[in-house]
Amino acid sequence: MQITLDGLQKHYGTYHALKSIDLAVPAGQFVALVGPSGCGKSTLLRTIAGLEAISAGTLRIAGEDVTRRPPRQRDVAMVFQSYALYPHMTVAENMGYALKLRRLNRTDIARRTQVAAATLGLEALLGRYPRELSGGQRQRVAMGRAIVRDPKVFLFDEPLSNLDAALRVHMRGELRDLHDRLAATSVYVTHDQIEAMTMADHVVVMRAGRIEQQGRPLDLYDRPASRFVAGFIGSPAMNILPGTVDPSGRAARLDGAEGPLLSLPMLLEPGRPVLLGLRPEHLRLSQEGGARFDGVVDHIESTGSTTFVKLKVASQAMVMTLARRLDVTLGDPMQIGFDPADLHIFDRESEASLVTQRDAPPRAGRA
Amino acid sequence: MKISGQTSRPGRIAVSALPDPTASTMRLSVFDTFRDGRGLDALLVLLTLVYLIVFGLAPILYTVLMSLQQVDMFTLGDFSRPFVGFANYVDVLTRPEAGMVARHTLVFVALSVACQLVLGFALALFFQQDFPGAGIMRGLFLAAWIMPGLVVGGIWRWMLAGDNGVVNSLLAVTHLHPTKIFWMSDPATSLYAVTIANIWLGIPFNMLLLSVGLAAIPKDLYEAAQLDGAGPVERFRSITLPMMRATLGALVSLSVIFTLQQFDLFAGMTQGGPSNSSNVAQFWSWQLSFQTYDIAGGSTIAVLMIAVVIGVATLYVRSTRHEQIG
Repeated sequence: MQITLDGLQKHYGTYHALKSIDLAVPAGQFVALVGPSGCGKSTLLRTIAGLEAISAGTLRIAGEDVTRRPPRQRDVAMVFQSYALYPHMTVAENMGYALKLRRLNRTDIARRTQVAAATLGLEALLGRYPRELSGGQRQRVAMGRAIVRDPKVFLFDEPLSNLDAALRVHMRGELRDLHDRLAATSVYVTHDQIEAMTMADHVVVMRAGRIEQQGRPLDLYDRPASRFVAGFIGSPAMNILPGTVDPSGRAARLDGAEGPLLSLPMLLEPGRPVLLGLRPEHLRLSQEGGARFDGVVDHIESTGSTTFVKLKVASQAMVMTLARRLDVTLGDPMQIGFDPADLHIFDRESEASLVTQRDAPPRAGRA
Repeated sequence: MKISGQTSRPGRIAVSALPDPTASTMRLSVFDTFRDGRGLDALLVLLTLVYLIVFGLAPILYTVLMSLQQVDMFTLGDFSRPFVGFANYVDVLTRPEAGMVARHTLVFVALSVACQLVLGFALALFFQQDFPGAGIMRGLFLAAWIMPGLVVGGIWRWMLAGDNGVVNSLLAVTHLHPTKIFWMSDPATSLYAVTIANIWLGIPFNMLLLSVGLAAIPKDLYEAAQLDGAGPVERFRSITLPMMRATLGALVSLSVIFTLQQFDLFAGMTQGGPSNSSNVAQFWSWQLSFQTYDIAGGSTIAVLMIAVVIGVATLYVRSTRHEQIG
């Protein structure tokens, strides 16, 4: 394990920012910490960096207990959201600063800076000052400053959030590519679940100072452990509607809905209040039988390749995405179908998933 | 400002068209130019300019003029006085006390500026740390700054008094200096007595400006430097100092200028004595002009000091002109 967190706690006075975090990151893995603002993901990253003191628990980096060590004795590099480039130093000086502090000789510093600059395509900019660079270039320099040190761990604190949308998508791929080439171990904080899903090997969803769920990106997508993770992972967000288990125990009805019952993939006690979750992309137009219900078209958005249909189902809003165009008008009635295996069921009280024990079927070819 | 200076401005033309036959149109235009803000720019610039000319430029020019003339009690009210060229300068600079006063001024300025800067910086860094009461304590330090110089001089005169001053008694109690120092009446210490008071007086201003400069340095730079392996000393040397360059430049220039203006402490403590041992240029200039009525001599010293200040200001502007951090 390259990073091991064991019962990590962080208190700010009376505020409990991190509540017993356990996390193990194998060498070479790309881990994304994701969650809404204030969930503690940045705090967790900063405690790994050593910028925040750990209140309790242990942190090991490459097997060594570094819980009480200052940042410079942890051999971690961090890319800041603001990039935090030294404004009075050139690109080369920014990248070489850490090496200079390690008392490397001038030629070694120049050589390693050159190599890092070549990796990132920064050779032509080495003599410039940060103020003379564009946002994307600054971002690269910040990464260059991290990779030139060849650290044990790379930490990223929302590094792409200051870039425009197109560049962000581009840098996503580039960053992941860089991680693979360097065989680095990376911890990446983001509030953007798409970044987490597309870049990471392992996604950690945090909420209110706790790890809500962690796992491989598609596992989180397929088997969210709670309503929170279900709503956070996936875009557009999962439709989550209140329902009640039918007397048979094998079906449920949306609260306030007349139409047919939704068959459940397992047996639940009759009359139990639940939350029914269906991803927009798992809904389809249906004429035939099976699990289905009636809705009314409320709003349509089409991007050309995808059509987003907003429906009213039993006076609740629901979104359906279709990978084709649709010729309907507002107010049209619609029959919506889905595969019962795609139905997520959460307890109304605890909001925990009731279907996590189910093995996810392979989802290849499903749109 | 730039925009309004470039664009056509009908209102302004109407204002400057003096013999306007239709007075009502003109009044309307004047009103219009103020309402849309374009005339206001000009008015504000004009007021500032008038103020600067009347209270700044004119007295300086008059001082320069007097330094080139023969001025005495009887020709004070005239403009047309005998022109003597640089005779006043030669006269002032060759007086026996001139070298001594110049040396004292240099020591006073150098010591004051250096100590104010170092102590002010130390205090600014200290109050930059987050601890309970930091804000209130920093506020209390500013009390020194708002006190009138003459009052400060009076207090320091008491504290440095030879026979029963608190400074001497502290030195005696702590065995640092068991014998009494006659701070203000000993020619060897009189200049330092005033310098100490002036350092105390200038620290809050230094601290305030440096605190503002420190607060403007982004915290994440320090965090990045920490991760890059920089300890506290290295962070100060490679982040704080370079990032404070503009502030430090401005502060040193301002401190030199303020110290060259320091008059009250000399008036309140030593009167430049004993026997000129604590006399500096600014006090000497005043003595010549208003105690001996050698107004030409006083003006000459004033002009020389203005030249020094302009030099310092030029250095400052030069050193910060190309600076644009961020």
